[in-house]
Amino acid sequence: MAIINQATRELQVKIVYYGPAKCGKTTNLEQVHANVQNVQEKGKLVSLATSSDRTLFFDFLPIEAMAIKGFKTKFQLYTVPGQVIYNTTRQLVLRGVDGIVFAADSQWDKMKENVESFQNLEENLKNLKLNLADIPYVIQYNKRDLPGAAPVDYLEYLLNNRDVQVPSFEACASKCEGVFETLNMITRLLLHKFINESQRKAA
Amino acid sequence: MLSLPQLIEEDVAVLDAALGDLITRSEATAALVIDKGGPLIIERGNCDDFDTTTMAALAAGSYCANQAIAGLVGESDFSSVYQQGVAHSLLVQNVDDQLLLVVIFRASLSVGAIKYFAASTTQLIAAQLSRARERAPDEGMDLVELNLADTSSLFQRREPEQQRAG
Repeated sequence: MAIINQATRELQVKIVYYGPAKCGKTTNLEQVHANVQNVQEKGKLVSLATSSDRTLFFDFLPIEAMAIKGFKTKFQLYTVPGQVIYNTTRQLVLRGVDGIVFAADSQWDKMKENVESFQNLEENLKNLKLNLADIPYVIQYNKRDLPGAAPVDYLEYLLNNRDVQVPSFEACASKCEGVFETLNMITRLLLHKFINESQRKAA
Repeated sequence: MLSLPQLIEEDVAVLDAALGDLITRSEATAALVIDKGGPLIIERGNCDDFDTTTMAALAAGSYCANQAIAGLVGESDFSSVYQQGVAHSLLVQNVDDQLLLVVIFRASLSVGAIKYFAASTTQLIAAQLSRARERAPDEGMDLVELNLADTSSLFQRREPEQQRAG
């Protein structure tokens, strides 16, 4: 749930990058941190990682942008650890989530892990009494540049085959391709959700 | 799960005064109220020396991880987490289901005294948040009236030539 501070005119939203191990969640945040321009303020990228550079707890990147004029809009970008054993940690990071980027690994031999990670996301949200259908999310098909990448149609069939299809993006996060398109879309979806909810309540 | 109510000026004034009072009485360096999801709600004291945004995210994660540990040893929760340093120490104290109080203080101060003063502060914060929750949830702020910018390209990537130059 986004934090709205009317007194200081601030809106804070939390976006979580979710997906299987080594699918490129941390790389997304690194690329945003390295390449973003024209934002009000960009914080440090904090990575709680193991000695072998695998995410242990989460990565965290705060960015402030002028999404709503006259309002400070603070975006907090998080990743979860992808490795299966860190499920408790993933649940902790999902607390208070406003929007989700599901990063999938396009390689053929990662399909099982993609599907399991997506199911794990739904289960963890249920444990937090949340429903994926109520949370804005987008899907990113990463590692499109690798020779063993499955066709996008197949990935869509596997991961984006629900009643409502969500926006999806092809990406090569290591080259910063598709990274900003994904971030801008999830930002757009979640800000418009706030506006729509407010309109419904006002009606 | 409880969600944080919209905060109006009265709420912020009460929280600000509560933190100010805590700092005065305990001689702590800084105090923060944070959401358990990571966002910083309000800060008071000498905060310029600390990256409080990042601290809030890490303290929330650390506290929540400790709650999971509490469950593993059969405790319903650990109400506070204390980190002792050489120059500064840190106390993270539970406020309610949604919020935490973080107190940064000189390591030479007694953590017992900080905990003593923090106890009444957490009660004040919890009471004010309870009042804010009881208030009409949409009172005072209408997102419809907000002027949403074109978010299709809110975050812009630096062009490669800019990257080389920078």
